[in-house]
Amino acid sequence: MTTKTINLTLKVWRQNRGEKKGKLKTYFAKNISGDMSFLEMIDVVNEDLTKNREEPIAFDHDCREGICGMCGAVINGRAHGHEKETTLCQLHMRHFSDGDTIVIEPWRSRAFPIIKDLIVDRSALDRIIQSGGYISVNTGGAPDANAIPIAREVAETAFNAAACIGCGACVAACPNASAMLFVSAKISHLALLPQGRIEAAKRAKAMVRQMDQLGFGNCSNETECEAECPKGISIINIARLNREFLKAELC
Amino acid sequence: MTPYVENDQKIDTKLDAKVPPGPLAGKWDQYRFDLKLVNPANKKKFDIIVVGTGLAGASAAATLAELGYHVKNFCIQDSPRRAHSIAAQGGINAAKNYSNDGDSIWRLFYDTIKGGDFRAREANVYRLAQISNHIIDHCVAQGIPFARDYGGFLDNRSFGGAQVSRTFYAKGQTGQQLLLGAYSALMRQVASGMVKMFPRREMMELVVVDGRARGIVTRNLITGEIETYDGHAVVLATGGYGNVFNLSTNAMSSNVTASFRAYKKGAYFANPCFTQIHPTCIPVHGTFQSKLTLMSESLRNDGRVWVPKKPGDKRRAADIPESERDYYLENKYPSFGNLVPRDVASRNAKEQCDKGKGVGETGLAVYLDFEDAINRYGEDVVAGKYGNLFEMYEKITGENPYKTPMMIYPAVHYAMGGLWVDYNLMSTIDGLFVLGEANFSDHGANRLGASALMQGLADGYFIIPYTIGGYLAETTFSEVHAQNSDEFKKGVEAVNNRINRLLSVNGNRTVADFHRKLGLILWDHCGMSRNEEDLLKAKSMVNALKHEFWKDVYIPGIGKDLNQSLENAGRVADFLEFAELMITDALARKESCGCHFNTAFQTEENEARRDDENFCHVAAWEYAGEEKDPVFHKEPLEFENVKLSQRSYK
Amino acid sequence: MNWFTAFLGSSIGKKLLMALTGLGFCFFLFIHLIGNLTLYGGKNFFLSYVEHLHALGPVIIIAECGLLLFAVIHVTTGALLFIENWRARPVGYVMKKNAGGRTLGSATMPYTGFLILTFITIHLLNVHFVDLSQQTIFQVLQNIFAFFPYVVFYTLAVIIVAIHVSHGFWSLFQTLGANHPKYMPFIHGLGICFSLIIALGFGFIPAYIRFIV
Repeated sequence: MTTKTINLTLKVWRQNRGEKKGKLKTYFAKNISGDMSFLEMIDVVNEDLTKNREEPIAFDHDCREGICGMCGAVINGRAHGHEKETTLCQLHMRHFSDGDTIVIEPWRSRAFPIIKDLIVDRSALDRIIQSGGYISVNTGGAPDANAIPIAREVAETAFNAAACIGCGACVAACPNASAMLFVSAKISHLALLPQGRIEAAKRAKAMVRQMDQLGFGNCSNETECEAECPKGISIINIARLNREFLKAELC
Repeated sequence: MTPYVENDQKIDTKLDAKVPPGPLAGKWDQYRFDLKLVNPANKKKFDIIVVGTGLAGASAAATLAELGYHVKNFCIQDSPRRAHSIAAQGGINAAKNYSNDGDSIWRLFYDTIKGGDFRAREANVYRLAQISNHIIDHCVAQGIPFARDYGGFLDNRSFGGAQVSRTFYAKGQTGQQLLLGAYSALMRQVASGMVKMFPRREMMELVVVDGRARGIVTRNLITGEIETYDGHAVVLATGGYGNVFNLSTNAMSSNVTASFRAYKKGAYFANPCFTQIHPTCIPVHGTFQSKLTLMSESLRNDGRVWVPKKPGDKRRAADIPESERDYYLENKYPSFGNLVPRDVASRNAKEQCDKGKGVGETGLAVYLDFEDAINRYGEDVVAGKYGNLFEMYEKITGENPYKTPMMIYPAVHYAMGGLWVDYNLMSTIDGLFVLGEANFSDHGANRLGASALMQGLADGYFIIPYTIGGYLAETTFSEVHAQNSDEFKKGVEAVNNRINRLLSVNGNRTVADFHRKLGLILWDHCGMSRNEEDLLKAKSMVNALKHEFWKDVYIPGIGKDLNQSLENAGRVADFLEFAELMITDALARKESCGCHFNTAFQTEENEARRDDENFCHVAAWEYAGEEKDPVFHKEPLEFENVKLSQRSYK
Repeated sequence: MNWFTAFLGSSIGKKLLMALTGLGFCFFLFIHLIGNLTLYGGKNFFLSYVEHLHALGPVIIIAECGLLLFAVIHVTTGALLFIENWRARPVGYVMKKNAGGRTLGSATMPYTGFLILTFITIHLLNVHFVDLSQQTIFQVLQNIFAFFPYVVFYTLAVIIVAIHVSHGFWSLFQTLGANHPKYMPFIHGLGICFSLIIALGFGFIPAYIRFIV
């Protein structure tokens, strides 16, 4: 725990609801403790803004423990900031120095229109899942849980893909604003498990089609998504998605 | 001052738990048979409103849609996948007995009743234990990647002081995986058109027509529009009220508003003073802290809890020799040691800190030390078990728990109290069902680890689909349309008035400022231990704060816009009123049980002393009007199958 | 053919086209390099290789048509992807930094691609569509490499090809789904080696012709 505090200059993207354009506005964050999270730092700035009768910065956040996937912004050009495998709520101010200038921008992608300030509309990700990111099983008909043994390694690989929190950092970080890492994580999770194999082909086709329709860019294997993913989802999943899709289309 | 008014006349009529007769083990089966069914062709004629998309809400919405009902599902976040169930770490219990270590439905039932300090309804808890096994089956079929052993079968661990290994888990992210399972089922139904999803909506009012819940009024959090939705039944799965304490492990948007609006419309609030305070959280570091982070309880399997023997000892942990360390849990509870239930562990940490033996800068922390475990099994094994938790700790605190002991302190975690529901999970308002953490039903005065996920999913996947059918089948509904109903109009008016009132205060203090003050009052006076004097003091403090709030709060921006300050203001306004209810309940329960520890009622060993003669009941509170004490109702708890005993973990 | 066009029109389908045609070009580069290495064996050795090559007759024409088709697919698909990707982010970041995934090769693919297209056009005009009735191909090479700025241009072009291939090579395996923790490091290494070999093999030709022969 640290006691030293720092002062920062923030350049924050402000954009009113319903407006197409926004701009960076400068704010000062004073006496910021290193133990604060990035969002707590914005809380402090917002409280100051409110006291000065200005509208606080709108930003999405919820669990503040790195699992809900609600928060996220591009901090000095990096999705969720520069710390590896860290969501914005888990990025702590001890990683910044006194006098730093920090540029804070929303996720930028045609598929994620800005709603207000740092808040974007990520419902496109839900729509991708709706197109096939599930196993079609109704409640009630399942066999005993141990009826199908699954190799431990397979379960772990599936888990690693399923750990995606749907924050959209992959899209934000991708030079092409592609959602391939997100889609591949779900495809991989389900395709690896015997329960999910049954619908694997249908799922791969439907999810890729849906992704294509929503205005995301194409994957060009730049691997920025993997580098920025707060859950460390690997691009091996994208290769698996490619395989699953090719198999689904050609076989 | 009379803290509550007893109204015995209403007990029989309103608080009928509708527990079916017959032997415990057969109740649910018999009841399901007795419940009326809705003709498959008629199901599509019913609209069901589900508020919340956590484990309970998402599973309910998906399952009801699978059955053929039309579902309107609402959530406060941008996507149903964000609900706070996602943050549950440890696991989910089930009585599968895969470990062959003597588990059974009966044992899970008994452990849950005992863990709840005998303040839960037997029949509900038994049903929960029965259903637990189906949940695991269903979740595996959905593709939840649970941990497995080398043979490919599901792995179990012992959790939260249970003597058997019955906890299924997916690393430290079980809640996430289960929620994403329920979310995927929900998305499948959205695609099929059976569920219409309304994200970024906050429920502002419940609409009751002819005594039945028939709809809700919401605020569109993007546009600020006030919207109305009608249906034949309303299902609330809106989580717990832990954020009344300001600092808790709950997500920032977790709130009591939906439940509290229902309470004001006539749903009774049960046991609001039962709030679980989880022992292993990362300690508070400063005034601007927004939230507390829980470290999975599983850490106590290998970590040893200690404080320096000498009060005020400010030496570094490494400089304190073994002989000057007090392993207080091991010393006090030789058979359970560090694995005592959550309430006991939390209370003891507070006791040590109150004696001045707390560690860290604030003195509000105790050590959780892995040195012995690392020496015994090696760092690799410890990392294998807790690696992600250690990383999380280091990320937040900047300290390496492999080198220096972790510092932990209790934090508000879970609300056992909630809206009163009967065996059907229906509240005292006909057609208003309450699921998951939002209801009070299964955990009594203390919830055991890995039981919350179980309850949320049991309610949503396996209980509500039956009981709501029974309600719909035997009810004659009048035509109600949101567009032309007076009740809906009144609801919208009430919401608008409230918003305008909030915006027009135009004072000088921020919402967060009030929330912090409220939290401190409750934490100090209505937290891990309570006494009448403190509670009375807190009651008047909260009341004063409430009045200050309505005089001096400042909310920037306008109502018809995305306005997060306004959202928070509405929630804090409800918390302020709810806090009074909570304190009233704590005052009324003149005993100690589970998490409710009144210092006046303790054994010689400083354990909670129940008063089964006078308080073996559920306290359910009825709203009586503004600035009026709520009306007390009591549902006596009858234990026909277990013997009430003093909990002992020595 | 509905499913087929829909498949090729999908984002992964387009990537597949890029990968397969890219694989074709890698193969071509490899063959072209082996052929050109005969230059280092001296004028006669080289000319005899050219003679043998041309003796293949229709095979060459088919190969050339194939290459042209591949080029059309690679260029049009690449252009389409470039436009789509550009449109996917209508408002760019004020500040954007790399997280460590991007390489020089990956970040410049469309641009190096465009430069390579320009180079190939000029290269074909200079060495392919020339009148060989009065001169040998070796003399053609001697003439163009006598012009120093062209040497610079050629060498730069070769380096650009190498940069393009440095990302393209492993990337095509990824697109085809061939990514495995055991083998991917090898494929990555192979891609880098291949790029270096191309850069060195082709890159020293002007110097060799100018100064050694």
